[in-house]
Amino acid sequence: MRWGVFFSGFIFLILCWSSIQTTCFAAETCEPPSFLRQGGGYGFLVQDVEGSYLVAVVDLVVSQEQIFSKGRALPLNLCRKEASEEAEEKLGGIPEGEMEVDFIPDPFEPINRIFFHFNDKLYFWVLKPVATGYKKVTPDQFRICARNFFSNLIMPIRAVNCLLQGKFIGFGTELLRFLVNSTVGMLGLMDPAQTALKLEKQDEDFGQTLGLYGLGPGFFINWPVLGPSSVRGTVGFVGDLYLDPVAWVSIDFGEWFILSGYELVNTTSLSLGEYEALKKAALDPYVALRDAYYQYRQNKIKN
Amino acid sequence: MNRSCLWIRVFFFTCAICVSVPAMAGEPTAMIRKATDKIIGIVIDPALKGPEKAAERKRLVREAVSEQFNREEMSLRTLAQHWSKRTGGEKKEFVDLYAKLLEGTYLDKVEGYSGEKVLYEDETVDGKYAVVKVKILSKQGTKISVEYRLKKGIDWLVYDVSIEGVSLVNNYRTQFNSIIVRSSYKELIKQLKAKVETE
Repeated sequence: MRWGVFFSGFIFLILCWSSIQTTCFAAETCEPPSFLRQGGGYGFLVQDVEGSYLVAVVDLVVSQEQIFSKGRALPLNLCRKEASEEAEEKLGGIPEGEMEVDFIPDPFEPINRIFFHFNDKLYFWVLKPVATGYKKVTPDQFRICARNFFSNLIMPIRAVNCLLQGKFIGFGTELLRFLVNSTVGMLGLMDPAQTALKLEKQDEDFGQTLGLYGLGPGFFINWPVLGPSSVRGTVGFVGDLYLDPVAWVSIDFGEWFILSGYELVNTTSLSLGEYEALKKAALDPYVALRDAYYQYRQNKIKN
Repeated sequence: MNRSCLWIRVFFFTCAICVSVPAMAGEPTAMIRKATDKIIGIVIDPALKGPEKAAERKRLVREAVSEQFNREEMSLRTLAQHWSKRTGGEKKEFVDLYAKLLEGTYLDKVEGYSGEKVLYEDETVDGKYAVVKVKILSKQGTKISVEYRLKKGIDWLVYDVSIEGVSLVNNYRTQFNSIIVRSSYKELIKQLKAKVETE
């Protein structure tokens, strides 16, 4: 009973949140380019006078039925053109934003660098030889099937995070993919949902959900074994463990360790050479990896 | 009423076709496609196979790669705020070293080519800038999204490539900035030279 109340409350929250999201989105798309923000309202550009804009200010009232309802028109105002718009001496005509050095804070860099070296050695001394040997004794197709199997198992992580992000089509896609791949795809070993039905995997996780909610990455953490992450990424990772069937099914730590280890070796066998390429192209491999992780995650949150 | 509705629909449909068709196969995409086909052609050319032809193959690929990149634009964007502090000679030196580093990186990627398919997905043009989105389909079934950013001078030339959202220029900018801030520009040039020589 209590769970029922909790669950309906949860659904209600999601619905509220998604409706807020859609209104904001609608308001954004409704805004024509000639609208200028001024204070709480929106200015409607009437005339472009030299150095200033002549605008009529309209208060924006957002309601469910109508976006621009009950606008209160103020007398015509003169808005100063922003300095940045007038004469911004750009370096080679490139917008300022594209030249920023945008990086993730890294207050624990010395420790992170130690673990970077540890992981580097772990890769070259243990993981790579094991994965190379494994690759030699198993056909490509077998390893792809194993990857598909593990990927199919963690459907709940992707599906729930689709829901939390308000991506209802993504949620449906994940359920359908699981249904098709677990049956026709022989327990998830194959991926007919993708190959035959063009249902793309929705790569969502709790770290991305938190990012979409507006939580910043915090700072960079390079975990031993697990590799690059952030405060947000770590919280997300732990959160997703609650939805990971592998963690549920394996009763003791030993089983979980073996399964995860095997998955790691299998994944590595399919991506041998990628880490080497990153290292070879970099002047400072640690900074290169940290930035690649940051850019990759920021991009994932946007999509 | 119904008839006018239909005509409006037909009108928009025609508009949509007129707008979308040239956008899908515009100049920037054609440029990327031509360069990609040329490079793949070199790599799979049976006449250039084998270790004894490696030098010749590398030279051809290097040529094909360098003619599609705008080296100055890339260098400027990578050094960013440090660019304007450089003298003319320093700028030239940096452009050459950086181009060599990038070519080397690209060569390694191309050498590992094993029948990946390139799908041209989308193109957006905004004034003299364009983005061409491509998916690289590996034989193992993984898809890698690649975005080429181009700028129009005489031709459309590439100034940045991002792979799975990781921009090459941004990545090098962060690395170079960290080296300059920690030590000096001289140290960066020293490291760049060392890196380029090992290739």
